[in-house]
This record gives sequence, structure tokens and C-alpha cells, in this order.
Amino acid sequence: GSLGDPQNLKCVTHNLQKMVCTWDVSSRGRRGQTDFCYTTNDLTPQVCFTTKERRVEIPIPESSITVTIKSSGTATKEFVIHQKDISFVPITPHILSLMPDFPTSTLNLKWSDNGSVFPYGLDAFWQIQILRKEPMEVVTQVTYYSKLTHEDVILSWNWTSDMPLECTSHYVKIRCYINATQFVGSKDWSDWSPAEVIPGKDTEPGESGVFPLDPVVAVGSDLTFCCVHEEDQRITNMIYGSKSYTMMQLSSRSHAIRVLNANVSNSSGTNVVCRLENAWEGSVVFVGYAPDTPQNLSCETPNFLIIKCTWKPGRPSGLYGERRTKYSLFERTSGRNVSCEVSELSKDHVCDFPVLPAQKTYDFILGVSNPIGQAKSSLLVDITQRVHPKTPEKLTVTENNSTSIQLRWFINGSFAEIRLLCQIEISSSHSERKLQNVSTPGRKSSTYTTQVNELHPHTKYQFRVRCSAADHFWRWSDWSRGVEQTTSEA
Amino acid sequence: MAAADSPSTALRRRDLCSRGIRLAGKMRADVVDLLDAYVEQQGLDASASVAAVEGVPLAAVERWDEQTGTQRLLENLAAYRAFRALLAQMLEEQREQLGEADAGLGRALAAVLLQVSAFAYHLEELLRLESRGIPGEEEDGPPPPPRLSRFEQKLRGLGVLRELAHWAVRSVRDLRQLAKPSPASGAAPGLAESP
Repeated sequence: GSLGDPQNLKCVTHNLQKMVCTWDVSSRGRRGQTDFCYTTNDLTPQVCFTTKERRVEIPIPESSITVTIKSSGTATKEFVIHQKDISFVPITPHILSLMPDFPTSTLNLKWSDNGSVFPYGLDAFWQIQILRKEPMEVVTQVTYYSKLTHEDVILSWNWTSDMPLECTSHYVKIRCYINATQFVGSKDWSDWSPAEVIPGKDTEPGESGVFPLDPVVAVGSDLTFCCVHEEDQRITNMIYGSKSYTMMQLSSRSHAIRVLNANVSNSSGTNVVCRLENAWEGSVVFVGYAPDTPQNLSCETPNFLIIKCTWKPGRPSGLYGERRTKYSLFERTSGRNVSCEVSELSKDHVCDFPVLPAQKTYDFILGVSNPIGQAKSSLLVDITQRVHPKTPEKLTVTENNSTSIQLRWFINGSFAEIRLLCQIEISSSHSERKLQNVSTPGRKSSTYTTQVNELHPHTKYQFRVRCSAADHFWRWSDWSRGVEQTTSEA
Repeated sequence: MAAADSPSTALRRRDLCSRGIRLAGKMRADVVDLLDAYVEQQGLDASASVAAVEGVPLAAVERWDEQTGTQRLLENLAAYRAFRALLAQMLEEQREQLGEADAGLGRALAAVLLQVSAFAYHLEELLRLESRGIPGEEEDGPPPPPRLSRFEQKLRGLGVLRELAHWAVRSVRDLRQLAKPSPASGAAPGLAESP
């Protein structure tokens, strides 16, 4: 070609509909008017226009296109561009939003897939890069897949950092690749989007401290703590518990340590201390266990006024005070919920729930939660079959003759809905211990009496009583206090 | 020159001072024990340097020798009132943070709080003896402390207990100073005079 001839014609499409063709001119070519003509095949008329740029945007040909370029003062140069010669580079994605959630160290990224530009159903791959530190390092790069729907869809993606977002600035970039199967030209990744940044505390003047602040984490976690300090403040060391850890520098104002497989902390938590030249910064991490599923959940009523549920809590969580494991008892039929006052240290876990009017069956869910996790157990129970009366009180002998006596006792509770079965224990120094059962309609906070016959005259006896539900036995009450009586002489 | 005390007032003051000295001595011993237990329980380093904690009265005083008896008592009273509030705050944090875990430390803290309250009352007794007005307590108590992180709470607790231990020592010296008979009359001087 002669001097100034157009050369290196390249065409790139960003949207599979139009393409941008660019060319350059062999050396010392003057920049002047250029006549650009193209025709896709013999049938359609040639389209021409004049341009000062060495860049035009024209439709993509079905198969090929003939281009003639004539710059002022040069010969006309003809090029044939086949679709296979065209490269497809999607439009650079645009990040719509990058939102931090500091408590969970999570970034939420939102971007548009620009689907409206492309035919329906194309596969799209999005590479997302997270960068950190000074100088910037790639922390992670993931590929996210989506399908284009010929509409602009906002895509969303979450990433949880291995260190608190406060520690140092986090940057996010994204690019995409669209698998246009019908397009025969070369296909490539788009350019990276401009990086979006979530500034760390190490960029805020006067800010300092250890992060995360007072977290609650599960035993076995791998933890990263950082110390943000002033630029001119020399950092001596960072201590976790009582051990000094090797530090990694995140920026000129931030250093971090990595603690692997954290052990359960003591009740006041594990201190994370950052010793600076003339100051201390610190945080306290509480390392514990998520609650176990409560075992052996059992509920009974002592008096048809309250229902007592007990359970085995399982492994202690190691969390105390405001972080302790909390229990609540939810009853599905009535929708009632009761929070239980249970101490982490107490062996017996008990929760009281009110007996509800006209409700026999209770569908309990015992919910357990602490900052690390939650669990639950459930139990369906008919309380008339779970009666465990209180200890009978005020056992007294009301009548007495040589061969029989009458006993009276009191039981606290409303047993009007059931029959009670009570058992009298009769013992004396020279006869075997005997048990006498008596069944009686239950009543509300009432006294009960029974006759004990076939006793020996002039004999000292000891009597005790215990009770239970007659129809659906569940558990005996405890024995009452004993009472002693000597039968009269014959 | 204020007139010297009557013998009964002087006797009463010396009695109050010597009981105050014993109380302060016991308090110091208990605070030192509490400090050890606190450092261990909170996982702190005993050598941790704690910058002056806001709201904690400093025991160190310049020209201690030149203070009048009234100044000594008033400064002591103000300090122990402040410690009463600070210890009550620590006790509240202890319950909030630990619940029943390590109830021993909670009990020890409550015991020291009781002693501090008793000592403040004792100081008021001494001031009443001198028919000095008892400064009123701030109506609604000290301003609520700023919301601190757990580590800051731990360090502040350390600072409070350390300074309280220093104050107990200073109180013993102050009360000894008050109990001294004045050189001239052999009777204990009025508070205004006793340097």
C-alpha cells in the first residue's frame, strides 16, 4: 500500500448488534476527511458516510461485509470482514451498589446484567475480584453464573470477609463473559469495572482500636483480629489470650493476627490486646458453643395450675451474662410463648407454663438460642396423663379405735378433672410394712380422708401417704411426712 | 486562731480516726485481694498500663502536707462517693456480662462496695463532728458512663481498683494526720488548723 493507506481494520462488537470498526493509517498519514462505505452483500445498496475519526459504528453482518475506505489524497482501500473476524467483548459491567454489613463482615454487591441488549437465554459469567491491602492484593476471585433474559436484571452477590471490614479498605471489581453460542467471531472477557471501595477504619483520621469488637464466635473458628492505629504509632505486638501472635501488615495504619481453631474462652471472654508505643487497644472475644438440642424434654403438672417442663441442656455453651443461652417455651395450639429463667450453671433446667382453661393437650416447642446458634425440641402432651401431684400435707389421724383409724390429708392443686389414687403406707414394729390403695375423685385444693382397718389393738403404727393420677398413672408424689398413732386397747 | 477542741470532741475525733484507719486498712487489704482476683478473672496482664480513667479520683496530691483537715476530709469524701458509684457500675456490668458465672468475684466486689459506703459514712461522721456541712451528693448521681467496649470496661475496672487501693493508703495517712495532737496544747487542733 502507499503512504497514508488505511490498514489494520478491526471490528469489535459489545452487543452482538452493532460493531465498532477502527483502523489506522500507515505512517505519516495526515488526519483528514475519510469516506467510509460498506455493503453486506450484492443485493443491498452500499452505505457511505464521511468521518474524521478512524472509527465507525455499523451493524454486524449476518456473514460478511465489504468495506471501502478512502482517505483524502489516497487510493480507495477495500476490506472484507467476515463475522469470524469480529470479536465480541461485552460492555464493561457497572456496579450499582456495594454495601457493607460490618457485624457480619459481609459485602453485598449489586450490578445490572444489561440483558436487554442481548438475545434471550445467553449464558453469562461474571468474574468478581475482591482486593485488599496496600499495595492492593487480590484476596479472592469468584465466577458467578447467570442466564440473560433479554431484560436488564439486577444481580446480587454476597461475600463474607475473613476479617472485619473495619480492618482495611476492601475493593471490588467485576467483568463478564457472555457465551454467545451463535456468534462465530472470537469472544472475550469485558474490561474490569472501576473498583468500588468500602473504606476501612484505617483511612479515618484519629480512628484506632481492635476489631472486631467484642464478637461472639463458635469454638474452632479461625479468627482475624486487626489493630488500627495512628500512622506514626509504632505497634509492639498483638496478644490473643496470653500468647503473642505474628502480625501481618494490612496498611500503614493496620496490622492483623490470625488465630486458628479458637478454644472456648473463660466466662469473662478472651482478651485481644494490641500494645502500641504509648497505649493499649483491645477487644474481648467470647468463644463458645451453639446450644445443643435439648434432650429428654418432659412436661408434667403438679396441680393443674402450672405445667413444669424439664430437659437436659446438653453441653454448656460457655457463654454467660447477656450472651448466655436463652430458653423459651412456645405452645402451638394457644400461640402462647413463655421465656424461661434458666441459669447456665444450674443442673436442672425447668420452665413453667400456665395451664390454660379448657386445654388438655399441649403442643410444646422448647426454643434454645444464644448468639452462636439455636436449637429446639418439641413435645405433644396431654397433661391429664402427666399428673405428678405435690407432696400430701397435714397428714393427721382423725378417728381411732382398737382395730382401725381414719386418716386425713391435704393436697394443693386443682384435681377436679381427674380421680386420684393415693397409697397409705402402714408400718409398725412387729408387722410387715403394708400398702393400702384408695381411689377418690379429685377436688380443688382439698382434704381427703380414708379408713385403715384390720389393725391390731394397742399397737403403735406409722402412716405415710402419697398420691398420683388414678386413670393415667404418671408418677407418685413424694411421701408425706409420717404420722404415728397407737390403736386403743381392745 | 480557732479555739482548741473540747476534750470530748478531741477524744471522739481520735476514736473516729482510729476506727477509720482500721476500716481503711481492711479495705485496702480486701481491694488488693479483689484486684488480684479481678486481673485473673478478666484475663488481664497485671502490668497493664491504664491511662487515667475518666471519673476516677486520683489519690496522688501535690503539697499533701499543706492540706487542712477539712480539705482532707472533703477530698476523701468526694473520692469515696465517686468510688461507690464506680463500684456499683462495675457490679452491674459484672452481672450483665457474667450472670452467675464467677459469683465469687461479684461477692468480693459487693463486699468492697459495702466497705467504701461505710467509709464514706464514716467520713461524714467526722465532718459532722466538726459541725462542717456535709456536701450534698449530686442530685441524680454521677453522669452515666460512656458506652464502653468490653475491653475498655475491663481496663476501667482495673484502673478503679488500683486507684481505690492507692486512696485507702492515702486515707490512712490523712486520718493519722487528723488524729495527731497539736504541738501547743496537746489537744487535737480544730480541723481548720491541722495541716
